[in-house]
Amino acid sequence: MAYEQILMRNCREGGDPSIKQYKAAGGYQALDKALAMKPDELVEFVKGANLRGRGGAGFPAGVKWSFLPPNRTVTYLCVNADESEPPTFCNRVLMEHDPHMLLEGIIIAGYATRTTVAYIYMRGEFTEQFHVLQKAIDEAYADGLLGKNIRGSGYDMECYIHRGAGAYVCGEETGLIESLEGKRGWPRIKPPFPAVEGLFHKPTVVNNVETLACVPHILTRGLDWWNGLGTQNSKGTKMYCVSGPVNRPGCYEAPLGITTRELIYGKDFGGGMRDNMKVKTVAPGGISMGFLRGDMFPKPDGGKVDVTRDCDELDCLLDFDDPRHYGLLGLGTAAAVVVAEDTDIRDVLFNVTRFFSHESCGQCTQCREGTGWMHRVAARIRDGAGRQYDLDLLAEITKNMGMMPGLSICGLPDGAAFPIRTLVQKFRPEFEKRIGEQQADAAKRRILQTNPAAYDLPILQGRAVQPAGGTYMTPEKLKRN
Amino acid sequence: MPKITVDGKQIECRDGVPVLQAVLEAGWDVPHYCYHPGLSVVASCRLCLMEMKMPHPQTKEMDWAPKLFPSCQTPVKDGMEVRFASEGVASSQSHVMEYYLVNHPLDCPVCDKAGECYLQDYSEKFGHASSRMVEDKHKNPKKDIGSKTLLYSDRCVVCSRCVRFGDEVAGAGELRVINRGHRAEIDVFPGVPLENELQGNVVDLCPVGALLSKDFLFQQRVWNLRSTPSVDPTTSAGATIWIDHNDDRIFRVRPRFNEKVNEWWISDETRFGWKYVADSKRLNQPLQRDNGAMKPLRWEAAPELLRRLLDEAASADQGVGVACVLSPMLSCEEAWLLSTFVRSRAPQATLVTGYVPVSGPDKTFPKGFKISAEKAPNRRGVESIIKAMGGPNATFEQFVKSAGDGKFKLAYVTGGYPQVWLTADQARAIGKVQTLITHDLFESALDEYATIRLPGASWAEREGSFMNADGLIQPFERALKPLDGVKSDGQFFHELVGRPGLYRGAKTREAMAEKIPAFGDIFVPRPEPEHAH
Ligand SMILES: Cc1cc2nc3c(=O)[nH]c(=O)nc-3n(C[C@H](O)[C@H](O)[C@H](O)COP(=O)(O)O)c2cc1C
Ligand code: SF4
Ligand code: SF4
Ligand code: FES
Repeated sequence: MAYEQILMRNCREGGDPSIKQYKAAGGYQALDKALAMKPDELVEFVKGANLRGRGGAGFPAGVKWSFLPPNRTVTYLCVNADESEPPTFCNRVLMEHDPHMLLEGIIIAGYATRTTVAYIYMRGEFTEQFHVLQKAIDEAYADGLLGKNIRGSGYDMECYIHRGAGAYVCGEETGLIESLEGKRGWPRIKPPFPAVEGLFHKPTVVNNVETLACVPHILTRGLDWWNGLGTQNSKGTKMYCVSGPVNRPGCYEAPLGITTRELIYGKDFGGGMRDNMKVKTVAPGGISMGFLRGDMFPKPDGGKVDVTRDCDELDCLLDFDDPRHYGLLGLGTAAAVVVAEDTDIRDVLFNVTRFFSHESCGQCTQCREGTGWMHRVAARIRDGAGRQYDLDLLAEITKNMGMMPGLSICGLPDGAAFPIRTLVQKFRPEFEKRIGEQQADAAKRRILQTNPAAYDLPILQGRAVQPAGGTYMTPEKLKRN
Repeated sequence: MPKITVDGKQIECRDGVPVLQAVLEAGWDVPHYCYHPGLSVVASCRLCLMEMKMPHPQTKEMDWAPKLFPSCQTPVKDGMEVRFASEGVASSQSHVMEYYLVNHPLDCPVCDKAGECYLQDYSEKFGHASSRMVEDKHKNPKKDIGSKTLLYSDRCVVCSRCVRFGDEVAGAGELRVINRGHRAEIDVFPGVPLENELQGNVVDLCPVGALLSKDFLFQQRVWNLRSTPSVDPTTSAGATIWIDHNDDRIFRVRPRFNEKVNEWWISDETRFGWKYVADSKRLNQPLQRDNGAMKPLRWEAAPELLRRLLDEAASADQGVGVACVLSPMLSCEEAWLLSTFVRSRAPQATLVTGYVPVSGPDKTFPKGFKISAEKAPNRRGVESIIKAMGGPNATFEQFVKSAGDGKFKLAYVTGGYPQVWLTADQARAIGKVQTLITHDLFESALDEYATIRLPGASWAEREGSFMNADGLIQPFERALKPLDGVKSDGQFFHELVGRPGLYRGAKTREAMAEKIPAFGDIFVPRPEPEHAH
């Protein structure tokens, strides 16, 4: 079944990103509709659409806008175009092919929130996209869509692009704000939330590119249309990415709530696996949400999934709720990275840990040290020097790094913990098998090479403590592994 | 004052402080690195986490929230209930402590901070004795970041205290965090070393041995040091300090918290301003002129000799020709004893406020820390005493002029400055005094005119109180025995006045307060909570 392409109507090879094309396709009509409404009515309207944020957290945009303090004079809108979640490129595709759709969304959201200046925070690696979007902004200014007295409504708004320098953590909303202020991209402690005190200490709204691009369509097509798409708590249309060894890797649009299987195998989507391979695992929401088992595992009994049992989990719906039933953190960016059956699971673990160890901003202890530690453990396992104990260790680190809310300042360690936790949990037999196949003594030799103290320092042997949980390693235990 | 419940106990707290500060003040030991009451809150070390009761989302009943909250970032609110004694908190603390050791070099045996290091203390109390980290450690470099400070960034726990101090208190912004993740380290900008005048504080602030003072490097194990509460002798601001010493040698000077003056900080001038105490050029022998040449004088003989000389000079005219120069380096007690002695023999003697060194204008830093231009601790104290004593008085300039005009027969001149304080011209003018008694730390241009030369003791070898420029009277204690051959000024004046027993600052202050009530009102800063740092 082919779904109607709304956000992606102009996303094709050779598509024209100009304002002329956008207007010909009915663009900027939603803006006129919006300007005829009062800002607060508009906020209520978007609330009614339950437009949940596409940036990862799924927080309803209308509700976020209504948190702004009523008697403010300056408001900023930050458009989160820092898209750096691995395998995610929906924002990029959208900005490349239809930048005016984003701009219309920005102007409408800006009007609704009485924004004075909108900043588009664009990830540094987007060079081509920057030029396309900058051209679109210039066109919009020339057309009276930005600047003073937009379309004669008396509403003024400026819009600038700010280019990042390539840090994942600058996609976190307060990291983004710090970076925009010219500082090191260290996420801020909350409260105060950006809606109250954000950019330059002023009320600020941060929204993802795709979230904003949805707004014009909700206005032109109406709430009924929007609410007719998707699943119970996840309404509307969504851009999905699929990458890895599938036949048609790319970005596709469909209502929220298609299955992971459809995204991989659907002929309008991934088009199946290359060489008819089976899926070993897939991270359906960007890697930070965690991993599902693929169809190389048996079908679940009677369609019911029990995450503690080895079974195919590809029926996970890609909406805001269902991934949680599979032990994942959430929908994330709905960007699936598929791993085929011939890939060593240790390599997957290694790659995932490398990313987060590289991207932790270094502020909070658990995240700074935990990500790096896990990466080194993963590297040792990959090199054929793992211990069975490492699997418990990884599970324990993920647990006290990001599983309990409030442990750290931002959500990065949760995003680091979930994929590793789900990998170790769901692929434990394979890890154990691989470790079992290693050369005898490999782990011991490797550890002695790097850290003799771990074995031999008498003071450590004498004083190693066992906390109540009993998971703490003594050198004796270590030797046994 | 809000009341909160901590681990089932109710405590009263100051308004508007974070829970962490309140519980530290109430005596709890809650581990923390990034929080410092003098700096902004970043809540990044995640050590101070606590559990808190919140209304249940459905039932609205108060219950423990399934979440940890940073106590340094949560302000106290009347009626709130929190706990640290819980398994969740203890487990989080123990894991965070384990993370701290992941890349730490564990080089305590050669670390200056060992013994007063909060990584050691917290590992002992909240963490583990060993680490499960068996991989290669990431090693950040050791760096020379300024003329006074070294950075061993492999020991850093990235609490960013030093960075915030530089930004917020010193207003210099020289230190920054560079790199991400476990590669994050503190650094200065290329070609811009750490040179602000408050930089020494970052060494105290650093909870671990990452920032080190070059001056103190490898000098002492800290458990051999004894700390004596004292007051800064270098300026009139009256910063309170600790003198850390061993075997009658000073090894370092650290700030002592003072809510009215210097808060948690001191300037480098104060921190390193004690060096003259150990100078080999210090005087250590009383001398008396005998037929033109200086001959040793016994301390025991000095009081009698001085009384006789004074009586002779004052016999005819009640001492109009006598002057006593009270240096602003003297303590209030010493100045009072000496002037009492002089006036007891020469009632019309002129009391002179000694030379007050001034250098540039006062300097104020962003959060209000001040370096005062007046480089002597007790000008106001000396002036108050002279005023209270009544009778003839003069400024130092007036004294020099009158001395040059031959007005004085006898003068007792106290110095005690670490630096040269007299010009040759001034010395020549003062030299016109027939009987000149000097009491000083170092040789000076007056020596060739002096009849009697007495060696003084440094402030660390004395006790008493200084009145700062704002009129606060703050006591300081004796840290060191005086140099061999030197008698502490207070003890000598005590003997001159003829008081029995040993000189003690507090006792003298009591006696002085009977005569000058203002001196009964001393200020002692509130002590910092035991487990705060
Ligand atoms: C570590 C981290 C990285 C993030 N990166 C992005 C990103 O690249 N793009 C994005 O839109 N949101 C990102 N987010 C989510 C934002 O914090 C924020 O929730 C989002 O921009 C809000 O917009 P929305 O409500 O429209 O989704 C990230 C969050 C975290 C914790
Ligand atoms: S959780 Fe990690 S990425 Fe987020 S602020 Fe803390 S250290 Fe930085
Ligand atoms: S050098 Fe010391 S004060 Fe500075 S961040 Fe590191 S541990 Fe903290
Ligand atoms: S997080 Fe509270 S003291 Fe560091």
